[in-house]
Amino acid sequence: MDLINIAVIVKLEPDFSEGNVSYNPDGTLNRAETKNILGPHSAIAVNAAFYAKVKHGAKISIATMGPPTAESMLQQAQLMSDADELYLYSDRVFAGADTLATAEVLKSGILKMQEKMDIVFSGHRASDGETGQTGPQTAWKLGMTFLGNVIDYEIDPAKRIVRVKRFVRLQGIYDVVEEMEVPLPVFIAIDPSYKPKFNTVSQRLAYEKYQKEARVRSQNFKQYLKVLNALQIGADPKLIGIAGSPTIVYKVERIPKGKATRQAEVIDGQDKEQIRKVVARIRQSLSTMVIK
Amino acid sequence: MTDGDYRHVYIIVEHEEGKILQVSLEMIGEARRMMDDFNKKYSSKEKVVAVLLGYNVKELPNVLIQHGADAVVCADNPELNHLRNTIYTKVIAQIAQDREIASKIELEYAQQFKRPRYMFFGADSIGRHLSATVMAQLESGLASDINKLVVADLQITHQNKTGGKPLTYEKTLEMYRPDFSGFLWTTILCLDNKNPAMQKDYHPQACSIIPGVFEVIHPDSTRQGTIIEYTPKFDEQDLRVKIIDRKIIKSEIDFDSHKAVVSFGRGVKDSPEQNIKLIEELASELDAQIGITLPLSKRPFSVSQTVDSTYLIPDRVIGISGRKVSPKVYMAIGISGAMQHISGMRDSEFIVAINPDENASIRDECDVFVKGRMEDVIPIFIEEIRKQKQVVQA
Repeated sequence: MDLINIAVIVKLEPDFSEGNVSYNPDGTLNRAETKNILGPHSAIAVNAAFYAKVKHGAKISIATMGPPTAESMLQQAQLMSDADELYLYSDRVFAGADTLATAEVLKSGILKMQEKMDIVFSGHRASDGETGQTGPQTAWKLGMTFLGNVIDYEIDPAKRIVRVKRFVRLQGIYDVVEEMEVPLPVFIAIDPSYKPKFNTVSQRLAYEKYQKEARVRSQNFKQYLKVLNALQIGADPKLIGIAGSPTIVYKVERIPKGKATRQAEVIDGQDKEQIRKVVARIRQSLSTMVIK
Repeated sequence: MTDGDYRHVYIIVEHEEGKILQVSLEMIGEARRMMDDFNKKYSSKEKVVAVLLGYNVKELPNVLIQHGADAVVCADNPELNHLRNTIYTKVIAQIAQDREIASKIELEYAQQFKRPRYMFFGADSIGRHLSATVMAQLESGLASDINKLVVADLQITHQNKTGGKPLTYEKTLEMYRPDFSGFLWTTILCLDNKNPAMQKDYHPQACSIIPGVFEVIHPDSTRQGTIIEYTPKFDEQDLRVKIIDRKIIKSEIDFDSHKAVVSFGRGVKDSPEQNIKLIEELASELDAQIGITLPLSKRPFSVSQTVDSTYLIPDRVIGISGRKVSPKVYMAIGISGAMQHISGMRDSEFIVAINPDENASIRDECDVFVKGRMEDVIPIFIEEIRKQKQVVQA
């Protein structure tokens, strides 16, 4: 049985947790004051990869496109997954890339990795950009089957297939859980609700072993890290950065306050008499069915 | 590249169990209004084209025409029964570049036709991923989660796009995207590189559109349109991707069976644990389901494990990235009123907001604005509800 090779693409994102995130007085994100971390959706993708390591001893490579400071995020990801290789694609020419040009960099980087990947994981979406496009676009450029909203997966190394469960939300109708069987290689955008389960004793032992190894490795993470520029990953300069981006940001403005859709009656939160009336109206609204 | 290479707006239609999803009808409505203006302004006859993939969907094209489509390209095939990304992406890309289809849409433009001018997808679990892969295949630009569209002739000066010189881009789609905070609006353009040093076509100009934003056109059964049947070509290996099972499930967090919804936002931050307890108590008095705003699903506070896993979960998010609700009573507690949240609750009947900041946007979206800190106000509400219940029981 061949070794399973897994790559994870991750993103450095603003830390939205209270105390770390800083907002400008107008409610917009203060990027200068907000520190950056491994994005929460990226972290789930890293967990998903670790599951394959515990279960199948998979080799894990983690990659990101970002500034040199993204190093420490890769260290954090290694601590979570006992990654065997870390890649930071960093180059001034990558700056200003839209999702298509970012996907081009990630594709080039993944193709440059030593092994041919069986599975590539990404998060569901970034918590700052929130487009959710980079994963599927990277998958498409790699020629891999894209599977989004994956809540569970199992690899069958002998048959070289993966079985996944996908959670598809059909707004306004219902949700669907879909089970699929797909030949490797596949690209999986992992759903936020994914939770790895380690059921057997041997899995729990493997889990302990790799966690221990991860702690040691991540302390010397630079040994595992390659920082590569555009030339080194062989990215086509016409397809990356601003040059390779079909889209531009034309303008950014404050969303103008729309016309008030309702005329609110403003009351004082200490005024018990007023609140008594509001509660009466609430109860009236709720009881309409009963009266009828 | 000349302007005549690109024509029409193509809309990727979603449907389930023989019913067209609302967002698809909304997109057709908006495309209809947009292209009516467009054709008047540019004296042209470009069309609203619905693209429909599925199996046993022959009834649907007429519905799309009644709602404003000029033409429907319909690929009806057992292999298209449910969405598989690779297969769907390739078929949509085939349709988008097919000149024979284009000749049936509008003969006059067919000879020069290369690709659609614009392309719309729904910004939901299906359209988001599909739009990304289709646009990767077509190697053009995509803006996601759009809530306003404008066609304009723009003068652009851009280092890469125009080589630093001012150039006019005609019929450019301004795609407005509210950012995650709900306070900023970013306008995204998809522009050809006209810089002689690096010329490249970027069409179609594509976007995914937020459900619930645009209005559906009232269906008109006398509307005429062209139905074009398309026989897709499949790659054998893509058919090895198999859907084994498909189960319809109801979310554990059920909003529809509750007449009241109590939601909270970042305003709980001063003492999240205690505030959420208060909200829980209030909701229980009103037999309300509890909702949250999107930022809270990112778990910004440290709270007990129970509170975290019960409340700060994506299933409770109300708004664009979550559920749309319209209860009899909606209480918005510590919610500033970002557009993303509003779109998920504005159809509620009676809306009460509790907020210390009288200038919060939520004030324009509620019937009663209770000014004050939730720590102080909620206990008064709870006490009052209990009192009034007793009166009835007595």
